Order: sequence, then structure tokens, then C-alpha cells
Amino acid sequence: MLRLVKAESFKLSKKLKSWLGPLLIMVLVLIAFPLSIDISQFDLDKFYFSIIIVSLLMTSFVATEGMFEEDFEDGSLEQEFLIEKDFYKLVLSKIFVYVCLIGIPIAFIGALFSFANGVAIGSFAKVFLLLSLSNLLLFNLFAFGNALSINKGAMLGVLSSLPLALPVIILLGTAVRSIQFGDGFAAIITLMIGVGLVMSAIMPLIISAALKTHID
Amino acid sequence: MLMLGWTWGLLFAPQDAVQGNSYRIIFLHVPSVIFAELIYFFMAVCALMHLVWRVKLGAYLIKSAAPIGAMITFIGLLSGSIWGIPTWGTWWQWDARITSTLILFIMYLGILTLHGSFSNLEKADRLMSILVVIGVVNIPIIKKSVDWWSTLHQPASISVSGGSSIDPSMLYPLLISVIGLGFTLISLGILSSRSYIFIREKNKRWISENV
Repeated sequence: MLRLVKAESFKLSKKLKSWLGPLLIMVLVLIAFPLSIDISQFDLDKFYFSIIIVSLLMTSFVATEGMFEEDFEDGSLEQEFLIEKDFYKLVLSKIFVYVCLIGIPIAFIGALFSFANGVAIGSFAKVFLLLSLSNLLLFNLFAFGNALSINKGAMLGVLSSLPLALPVIILLGTAVRSIQFGDGFAAIITLMIGVGLVMSAIMPLIISAALKTHID
Repeated sequence: MLMLGWTWGLLFAPQDAVQGNSYRIIFLHVPSVIFAELIYFFMAVCALMHLVWRVKLGAYLIKSAAPIGAMITFIGLLSGSIWGIPTWGTWWQWDARITSTLILFIMYLGILTLHGSFSNLEKADRLMSILVVIGVVNIPIIKKSVDWWSTLHQPASISVSGGSSIDPSMLYPLLISVIGLGFTLISLGILSSRSYIFIREKNKRWISENV
């Protein structure tokens, strides 16, 4: 497992566009949005969170777009299958590395921008935790979309996995409301941790089944 | 039966005290959205059959039911949108029930696109079944959306436990429309799956012997 995590970290760190691209897109959207509409800071503060959520959705999709494609094209997936007879560990370590190297920095950027747009300084940790957990859930879902479509293009990945992101967005919306009104946050975050743990255990199994179908 | 339900509902059922004649679209809208969800649930059962017991028929049934599901979901969305004008004053609202139904429509399109993008049909069947099983998470969300969130869309007027807030003079034609549309969709499903099975099994001996 550690071997896979090391290998995946190394591979991802070498693919500059895969990890830097999503971070830059996140920053660009968050900066460009307030510039593109002429509204007061007061109005902007009210719905800036929605922009963060949409940017999060977009960047996590972009980040996971080619998650398995390169490995599939160059034969690494087949090689891994021959060694391990399964993709569970590979998928688990890939998602872990992507969340650590891309998801958490994206969450940090999102939390920074929310802090600059009306969220109280004391809520920084809450927002960061919320966005990190959301990224964990979204990365799992989009990895599934990527595993289904593999080398058939991003459109198919979106069509297959975006509908599944709906419950995550709903949870996020509820959590944002609880941060803004200051109650019920602990319950939602506990629920998200629970869903995150279940999803992190089950999704690699499903993704693994989808990848095996491609190799067969 | 569908014609009976529609004729009764559209011509003989009384006017609604608040909505006037515009409520009559329920005889199309309600049955459509009920079956939009039921067809997906049926597909999920077929997908499990295909994935767990490797029953080929499961995948064939999904592939045949998905276009019907997409069509009926579209009709449900469109009729709801038309009904929205006289009742809510808008064609569209980003309300939890409507949005989750739109997501269901996108799911149907995703399933069809996913299957269509692979030339190896066995591989396409398996991937499609995996997606259908995972996507079933959307069905309880659609069903409970009106209870979990404060939505513009009204809560359910008829419940399985027997209660109904609709007057019997409107309820009976509605139930007949639901049953009628159910039979129509089953007939469409049988025709569609029959032709799809013929296409997929065209090189098998049982086809040449029996057809």
C-alpha cells in the first residue's frame, strides 16, 4: 500500500498540469467572479459560498479527469492487475494522493476566499474542514465517473458522475447554512465524516470493478 | 385504459376550486413522474441481476427501458413546467424536487451514452449496470425531496398507506390514468426489449430456429 502511495505521489507530482491546473482554475474563478458582476460587497458576501461550491465541483472534476486514463493507455493498469489481482489498493491510494495533493490545497484556497468574503475568522477551520470533506466525497465520485468512461472523454464522465454529486451539493448547502446561522454544524460534519468513510471504503471496490471490466 | 382515464379526467372531472382547468395536466404529469422513478428502480433491479448472477437479460432490459425512462421523465418535466405557468407564474424553479428529477433525466441520458460509447457490448453492459446501481441513490432523494426541504413543489397528495387529499371525483380518473400509463409503458417495454434481444442475439441459433 505504501509502495502504491509513494508511486502515485511521485507520478502526480511529475504531472504539473494535473495538480497545478485545478488549483489555478479555483483561484481564477474565485477572483474573476466578483470582478465580472457589479454588486456591493454586502450582496456578494451573501452568496459567495455558492461560487466556492461551484468552483469546488468544477475543479474536483478537472482534477480527476485523467485519473486512470494514462495508466490505462500505457499498460500500468494491466501490470498492476497482474501483481495485485485487484485494483482496490491502487484506487484507494490514488484517491488518497489526489485528495492530499489537490483536494486539500483547493479546500484551503476556498476557505481563504470565504474568509475574505464575509465569513467570520473563527469559522475558517469549519469551512476548511467542510471543503476538505466535500473534496473527499467529490473525488471519490468523479474517480468513479472517470473509471467508467476511462478514455472516452470528459463529457461521458460528467454525464455519469455529476448526478451522483447531487447529494454532496445538498449536504454542502445545508452545512453552509449552518455555518452562516451558527447552529447544527457538528451534526452535519459528523454525517459528512460518516458518509466520507463509507464512501472511501466502498467506492474503490466499485471503481475497481469498473476498471476490471475495461481490462477484461 | 389510459384513454379512459384521460377522457374522464380531461372532460368529465370537475374543475378545481383554486386552479380551474389548469389542474387537469395532473392526469399526464403525475403518472409520468411516478413511472420515471419506477422505471429507474426496475432498471436497478435488472442491473443487480446482471452484476450478481450474470443474467444477460438484465442488461438487455436496462438498455430497452432506459430510452422509455428518459422519454417519460422528459414528459414529466415538460408537463410540470407547463403547469408551473398558471400555478407558480414561472416555467422553471430550482426547487429540490424539480432539480432532482432533472438529474434523473441526465442519469438516463448518461446511461444511454455510456452504453453507446463502447463497441464491446458485454463491457458496455457491465459498466452500464454499475452506473445504474450507483445512480439509484437519486430515487429516494427525489421521493423525499418535498419532505426534506421547503420546496415550491407541493408534498405528495396520495400516499401508499392509503391517505389522499384529492377528491374522489378527481382521484379515480387519476388512478386509472396511472394504471393505464403503466400498461402502455409495459407494452412499449416488451416491444422494445424484444427487438433489442433480437438485435443482440441475431447470430445465435435459437433466433434462426424460432424467428
